[in-house]
Amino acid sequence: MFTFIVRRVVAAFGTLLLSSVMVFLAVQALPGDVATQVLGKDATPDAVAALRKQMGLDQPAWERYFDWIKGALHGDFGTSLVTTKPVGSEVAQYLGNSAMIAVVTVLFAVTGSLVLGILAGLYRDRWPDHVISTVSLVGMSIPEFVVATLLVLAFSVTVPVLPAVVLYGPGAGFGQLLPAVWLPAASLAIVMAAYIVRMARTSVIDVMASEYVTTARLKGLSTWRVVTRHALPGALLPTLHVIALNVAWLIGGVAVVENVFNYPGIGKLLLTSVQNRDLPVIQAIALISAVVYVICNLAADLGSMALNPKLRTRGGRTR
Amino acid sequence: MSAIVSVAGLGVAYRSGGREIPVVHDVSFDLAPGETLALVGESGSGKSTVAATLLGHLRYGSRLTGGTVRVDGQDVFALPARELRRLRGGTVAMIAQNAGQALTPSMRIGRQIAEAGGDVPVTELLEQVRLPRPGELARRYPHELSGGQQQRVAIAMAIATRPKVLVLDEPTTGLDVLTQRSVLDLVGSLRDELGLAAVLVSHDLGVVARMADEVCVLRSGRVVEAAPTRRLFAAPVDPYTRRLLASVPRLSDTGLALVGEDGTREVRPKRPVPDDAARSVDVRDVTIDYGSSRAVDGVSFQVRRGEVLALVGESGSGKSTLAWALAGLRAPSGGAMTHESGDLGGSARRRPLALRRKIQLVFQNADTSLNPRRSVGDAVRRPLRFFGAGGSRDEVASRARRLITDVRLDPDFADRLPAQLSGGQRQRIGIARALAGEPDVLIADEITTALDVSVQADVLRLLDDLRRERDLACLFISHDLAVVRGIADRVVVLRHGVVVEEGPTDAVFADPGHPYTRQLMAAALEPDPDAVAPAGVADAWADAAEAGAVWDELGGGHRVRRWRAADG
Amino acid sequence: MSALKTPAPAPVPAPSARSGASGSAAARAWRTVRSSRPAAIGLAIVAVHLVIALLAPLLTPYHPTVGDASHALLGPGADHWAGTDQYGRDVLTRVVYGGRYALGVSVTATLITIALGTVLGCAAALRGGWLDDVLMRILDAVLSIPAILVLLVIVTALGTGSGVIVLAIGVICVPQVVRVVRGAALAVVPQDYVTAARARGESTWAILRREVLPNIIDVVCVEFAMRASWVVLLISSLSFLGFGADPPTPDWGLMVSENRTAITVVPMASLAPIIALATLVVGLNLAADGLSKAWGVDRIREGS
Repeated sequence: MFTFIVRRVVAAFGTLLLSSVMVFLAVQALPGDVATQVLGKDATPDAVAALRKQMGLDQPAWERYFDWIKGALHGDFGTSLVTTKPVGSEVAQYLGNSAMIAVVTVLFAVTGSLVLGILAGLYRDRWPDHVISTVSLVGMSIPEFVVATLLVLAFSVTVPVLPAVVLYGPGAGFGQLLPAVWLPAASLAIVMAAYIVRMARTSVIDVMASEYVTTARLKGLSTWRVVTRHALPGALLPTLHVIALNVAWLIGGVAVVENVFNYPGIGKLLLTSVQNRDLPVIQAIALISAVVYVICNLAADLGSMALNPKLRTRGGRTR
Repeated sequence: MSAIVSVAGLGVAYRSGGREIPVVHDVSFDLAPGETLALVGESGSGKSTVAATLLGHLRYGSRLTGGTVRVDGQDVFALPARELRRLRGGTVAMIAQNAGQALTPSMRIGRQIAEAGGDVPVTELLEQVRLPRPGELARRYPHELSGGQQQRVAIAMAIATRPKVLVLDEPTTGLDVLTQRSVLDLVGSLRDELGLAAVLVSHDLGVVARMADEVCVLRSGRVVEAAPTRRLFAAPVDPYTRRLLASVPRLSDTGLALVGEDGTREVRPKRPVPDDAARSVDVRDVTIDYGSSRAVDGVSFQVRRGEVLALVGESGSGKSTLAWALAGLRAPSGGAMTHESGDLGGSARRRPLALRRKIQLVFQNADTSLNPRRSVGDAVRRPLRFFGAGGSRDEVASRARRLITDVRLDPDFADRLPAQLSGGQRQRIGIARALAGEPDVLIADEITTALDVSVQADVLRLLDDLRRERDLACLFISHDLAVVRGIADRVVVLRHGVVVEEGPTDAVFADPGHPYTRQLMAAALEPDPDAVAPAGVADAWADAAEAGAVWDELGGGHRVRRWRAADG
Repeated sequence: MSALKTPAPAPVPAPSARSGASGSAAARAWRTVRSSRPAAIGLAIVAVHLVIALLAPLLTPYHPTVGDASHALLGPGADHWAGTDQYGRDVLTRVVYGGRYALGVSVTATLITIALGTVLGCAAALRGGWLDDVLMRILDAVLSIPAILVLLVIVTALGTGSGVIVLAIGVICVPQVVRVVRGAALAVVPQDYVTAARARGESTWAILRREVLPNIIDVVCVEFAMRASWVVLLISSLSFLGFGADPPTPDWGLMVSENRTAITVVPMASLAPIIALATLVVGLNLAADGLSKAWGVDRIREGS
């Protein structure tokens, strides 16, 4: 069990290292010289060279990579090319705002979709299943921005109860942002839930058809007990990884939805940074996304270990 | 005495692709308290479906089309859900076919047993099924137990509520012979101890002969014959039953049994292998490792042209590993393997084409040995073309058809997909594919294990015919001693990757020298209710082989690995 | 002794006519479509979209990018069934032409992804060992960065030409396809018919083509439909954010973002592209679902 955890953690770090290299290389490959960009096209070559030296751009790429990683480990992601403020604190501020949306989304999407998915699986091929499956199929067929637009139409235009756009900057307080959280979160939750519902349904059906569930039934146990004690642990296993992938997907989804609502979160920051070619910020956001992805997957792995005693006792030899 | 189980006019249909396919027709039987009834039949006979109805269970998509099932006076399918649960939890209990899959992987053994209800403490139940250290075992998870232990846990779970009727669905299929024997003994004694009535589902007539009082033979969902066990085995009436019984190989057969349409049985004597027959394959001191564990440890044997050498052993004895190594699919870590025409040390890809074709493998599971998306003819044509034996397209096609005829199938099968063939037909195609390389060594890895007994008889006969016609050296791998007795000229008994006994088949069966061989033979079940099981052969023993003094020679090539009696 | 020379049992006759054995992929696909209603509906929807996109110039008298400013922001009427946008362009015309862009870009991108992913996935499954390990690590790293972020960066660097977008998406989606295909191939590789081919000494390529591919083609088809729907969504999101198709290209995502602010005035200008987008993706998803059910492909499970 211990070796299993260690192996997973090492693998997670490996992935993270690899992604950080990729992020760094990808951003380096972007055409255009940063120094020129900062100073404008009319800058003298001397000024450009001076700035390059000041920014460390004259050093070889691998050295800059290690500097960047070293800084990142201490929370120092360099300075923004646009606002000249430290990237770390700026990203943190936006990230905090996005976290509000993310928490609400995950809470509702995961609990709701698990309940619905399990119901659909248990009522396989009967009307609750048909309804849930159809709705989730439509849910996963509509992009986030459309869901967001329709929600705005419903809850901001037709029945104006929630704000359609946020008028505050990134420094807005919790109370100011709170009313603006619900619509973005709902847009994301609907799309995210659709995937989880479908996964949960399939794995519940699989497990309910397994021999051990049949045996449990033939022992004369109540349906409730069969489902909760025998079926669910097995059914949740594959679902866990889909949940993890979806939570990691949130960062991408947030980019779209926050722009619909002008919500001052990480997605909004990403878009402005891309528009302004603010490389340090883009790098930081990419790295943070990778960290979130890796953490989610690691959590899913550890979660499946809790659900599956085979992983716990066999030193993690999964075959 | 009134019947405790009474099935009358039972019919079940399965819904598939918009049509209803009847799987059970008009099945009726009664079972008296304390008696054991066996439901016997080949795959697709509906025996498991019938057994499950005793607990009011039908598979997803199945439907009751008629009849009643009464258990302890209650009409099972008319019971409200709550009553049905009480029936399952108290009156009838089921022991499923595959205990490994019937136990919930995420729950501890103890809790799963306790959950079944009843007043008997879990440790006592575990003791009752003769499991060691019950207290500790109860805290384990199913995957930490061996197959035999899992089956015992399943039995403990079933008897927890002290039911009146026990339903056993192929309770020992998939277990090794020795384990099967001990599980059957356990079930038998529990049944007597607790005065249980039992319904036993089995395809194995040996198991049935040993356990049942009454037998009900099913075929395609209908009862073809029902009689007390002794009478059924002594004087079967229905031709199907007769054929079924005649097809079962026996330990006393000195050759392959040929079964007639009417169920007559003739034993064809073996053709002696000429003394000057060439050594086709020579295996010397071969050792094969899987990572750090040793699967095969210093095994030597030779197979001559026209000879069938049987490798016998339980699962984990290394017999299939040896087959794979000979076929070039697994590299040995020590020793030498040679063929008449070259060295077999290298992997298949490194062997010259001419050598590769000389050794061909036939697989255990005919279902997975043919590509489901390619026609049967294609499966045979490919090796013909690959080994360059073909020539033009038409020539290859006609040779493929001839090969299909050689395995006693209609050549028109060439255009079919494997799914359109029965298991036995697929296995014949597997043999035809192997013959396409014109091999002189055929490795048959448990080729009849997955087949029904009547089909097994046909395939064995085909193999024997081919070996005579083509003078093949045949390495026959099996765990079934009765099958081996009929077809093999010589036997090698493997245990944990080590040869414990080898010799001519007749000599080994007449006078097994090693306690392990004796144990295996004693555990084999004959289809004869009057067969006296030789008891108490499980003497403790220990290996006593030393360098230079490994074998006790018994003459005529029969030799036994040295052992000594051990106490405890 | 003579009794023992009983003639070998007569060959078992082949049952009935030559049914189905010659089941070509096309014939099988047709049977599937006939037997599975969701698949049939899904494929029909996609087909309708295809036809409309192909025949776009014949279906509408208006030009997709040139509008008549005097007819801006009209509601639905006899001349303009779905009304006009703020530049006076016919909304329905733009929706019809938008299908060309959506289908063209996403189908090409998906084809590239599927081809690349299938080859890599099969290779990883068949060769195993270090190749498999290294490949899966790299793909995991690629997966760890959100697709939309990668796309945004690529597009800012290389421009928003459809060639760039096709290539970028082709690369981004490969990891998921590899996972699915590898999972399916891993189920095939241990089968005895693959072992038989190995024992014959066949080359990796021959085993892949003859034994593995025919058995995972179902999975690949289903994955195609599902990946295509995903790509359509991704491209429209990108356009919506202003990083995909450049205005005035008729693109659904772009149309929604252009007309969203006027949603109370001319709702159809936003709703029409939304409906087009949703029906296409629902169609693709239905097809993927129906096919996977009919073929017994568990498309969600294969990936994990």
